[in-house]
Amino acid sequence: MAKPSVRLATVEVAFAIGVIAVIVRAGQVQLVDGARYAAQARESRTESVVLPARRGTIFDRAGVPLAVTQESYHLGLAPRELRDTDRDVQILAKQLGLSTREIRRALRKSWAYFDGPFTAAQVYPLRKIRGVHLTNDFVRFYPDPDLARAVLGRPAADGRPASGIERVFDSTLAGEPGSAVVLRDGQGRTIESPARLGAFPVAGEDVYLTLDAGVQEIAQRALGTAIQRLHAAGGDVVVLEPSTGEILAVASRRADGSPSTSAFTSVFEPGSTAKIFEAAALLQDHLVTSTDSVWGEHGVWKQPYREIHDDHPEGWMTLSNVIEVSSNIGAAKFAERLTPDQQFGMLRAFGLGTPTGVEFPAESRGRLPAPADWSGTTSASLAMGYEVAVTPLQLAAAYAAIANDGVLLQPTLIKEIRAPDGSVVYTHQPEPVRRVVSPDVAAHLRAMLRNVVDRGGTGASAALTTYSVAGKTGTARLAGPKGYLSGEYTAVFASIFPAEDPQLAMVVRLDDPRGGYAALTAAPVTRQVLEEILGARTEAIDRRRLSNEPPPAPPDQALIDAGTVPYVVQWPDTGAPAPAGPRPVPDVIGLSPREAVRRVLRVGLNARLEGLGTISRTRPAVGDSVKAGGVVVLYGRGGSR
Amino acid sequence: MAARGRHWLALWLVFLLAILGWVVARQTASLALARRLSQLRTEHAAKADLRARLEQRIREAESRAVLIPRAERLGLRLPVDSEIIILQVPKAEGH
Repeated sequence: MAKPSVRLATVEVAFAIGVIAVIVRAGQVQLVDGARYAAQARESRTESVVLPARRGTIFDRAGVPLAVTQESYHLGLAPRELRDTDRDVQILAKQLGLSTREIRRALRKSWAYFDGPFTAAQVYPLRKIRGVHLTNDFVRFYPDPDLARAVLGRPAADGRPASGIERVFDSTLAGEPGSAVVLRDGQGRTIESPARLGAFPVAGEDVYLTLDAGVQEIAQRALGTAIQRLHAAGGDVVVLEPSTGEILAVASRRADGSPSTSAFTSVFEPGSTAKIFEAAALLQDHLVTSTDSVWGEHGVWKQPYREIHDDHPEGWMTLSNVIEVSSNIGAAKFAERLTPDQQFGMLRAFGLGTPTGVEFPAESRGRLPAPADWSGTTSASLAMGYEVAVTPLQLAAAYAAIANDGVLLQPTLIKEIRAPDGSVVYTHQPEPVRRVVSPDVAAHLRAMLRNVVDRGGTGASAALTTYSVAGKTGTARLAGPKGYLSGEYTAVFASIFPAEDPQLAMVVRLDDPRGGYAALTAAPVTRQVLEEILGARTEAIDRRRLSNEPPPAPPDQALIDAGTVPYVVQWPDTGAPAPAGPRPVPDVIGLSPREAVRRVLRVGLNARLEGLGTISRTRPAVGDSVKAGGVVVLYGRGGSR
Repeated sequence: MAARGRHWLALWLVFLLAILGWVVARQTASLALARRLSQLRTEHAAKADLRARLEQRIREAESRAVLIPRAERLGLRLPVDSEIIILQVPKAEGH
């Protein structure tokens, strides 16, 4: 046994070695590996997070919100932290709209997660419950999800690409996300603490569209009703303000009720609505006088390669008559006065065959063949609105140019952009593309278009009693893979309202409507939209300017007697007081559909066409009495479609 | 000297405790503020959410899709254009 002093010395040495070892290790931990351990600790306790920026709001022109951003929540639940499980489960089930069984099943795990997303109103009462952990996010909310859905589009989400205005103005609306460092507990959950803010998120800018929510709703509703009533395959309504190029409404719909972007992306042959562009070329280049006439061939004009038909046989016609009665033969004959360059130049000047430049993705440019690609029949075809394809927006912009004294403006959907603090970043100013025709020629064209409606031409069913409407019908056969389809049409009515001092340019297009002719399908929709706009609270029209508008001229009695203006009636039945008493169904057997409909309308009855070709029978039968405003079904020899 | 040394030590301890207390009080206050801020944010979001949904209901109730069928059930209808009278604003005399 060693001496006590030796044993003590041994213990002291051992203790000293232990102390030195601890000091060395402490030095190693603190000085050598200190930075690594500090980083590990920081990593486990803190996390850098991206603070999402609030997406800007999309408003209509009057400040009605169309797309807003709201906070949404996801909910995490720590079952062991709950104080009164039974009570908490009941509250959770009620607020989240889930069953208690569902929540109890989730509580079997150590950490339950409900993705939601839940609204702020739903989770607000849950904040006081211990064990509830919320994470927030932003979601897009559309107060009226069906209003201008295709135009607004949707932001990109869940692998789905962005669309519409949300896509075009994504960088403007999105803002700049911020960053922060948050504390986490041992299980990785966020501890409520003053976060170390790296950068504040900057909210996105607000976009004010040119759309008017009131007019948009009217257009959508009128289009939907027309598609349903006429069993059309789809359609579009575009309403423009001619003096600014601002688009007040764009409604596009398919037969199944789904919204579409066809007003911007789908092309069609404009048919007779393009005849006014030929008239513009003739007038602008002084190739026609008001008394110049062409022979109407009584409805059939045989040419070497084809026959051109008119539904309503005519004799001698001036250019104004050609537009009024929509004569194909007259249009083709007047077109012979134009060189291909003149004809092509005018169509191109009106914007056909080129994109309008509207702020919408994948806008179609339409189709307009260059003179080098023309065949021997192209000139006549173009005069009748064939071999050229336009979008509804292009056609509306072209008619807006006529309304705007001959200056074509670039159509736009954007009125204003504002920063989050309310300051204006961008305001739309009208952007002239070019002067297409002189103001005098534009006025002349408007007068021709006014005759189409007010003097009982093909657009008579768009006529209003108090205000004058200028417009043109177009009924073009639909093209299929093997040429034009029999009995399938695109019906279009392009209009300017009012004819003097115009405030609106509108295009109504219906795809393959039952009843075919635009005069009976698209023109009445125009009238319905105009009437509803006049009666609505919208500020899209200046009523002070309207009150100075002269009423439409009464139909010329001499022309009516001569048979040129066969009817001026309201169509469709608007509920306005009609002449009382039943009246007999007129004899329309053997007549063309158009003439038959005119005769039926003339006696105060409404007409519906079934089948094609000349009329073989009616229901009720000819001579039977029908209540005023009642419907007479006209059956064509071609059978039902 | 010994007493003076103890005084110094006590002073340092009091100073240290005061600093620690100040730090803890600041942390506690900031945590309370953070909770309050978070609560206010949720409350604000809840109110904004409620407002948006109320506006949605108002717009739906004002929409033509709702109003027109109800008006028709009451025997009303949309006016035709001849029934819409726009009143002329009288011009001021002498101007």
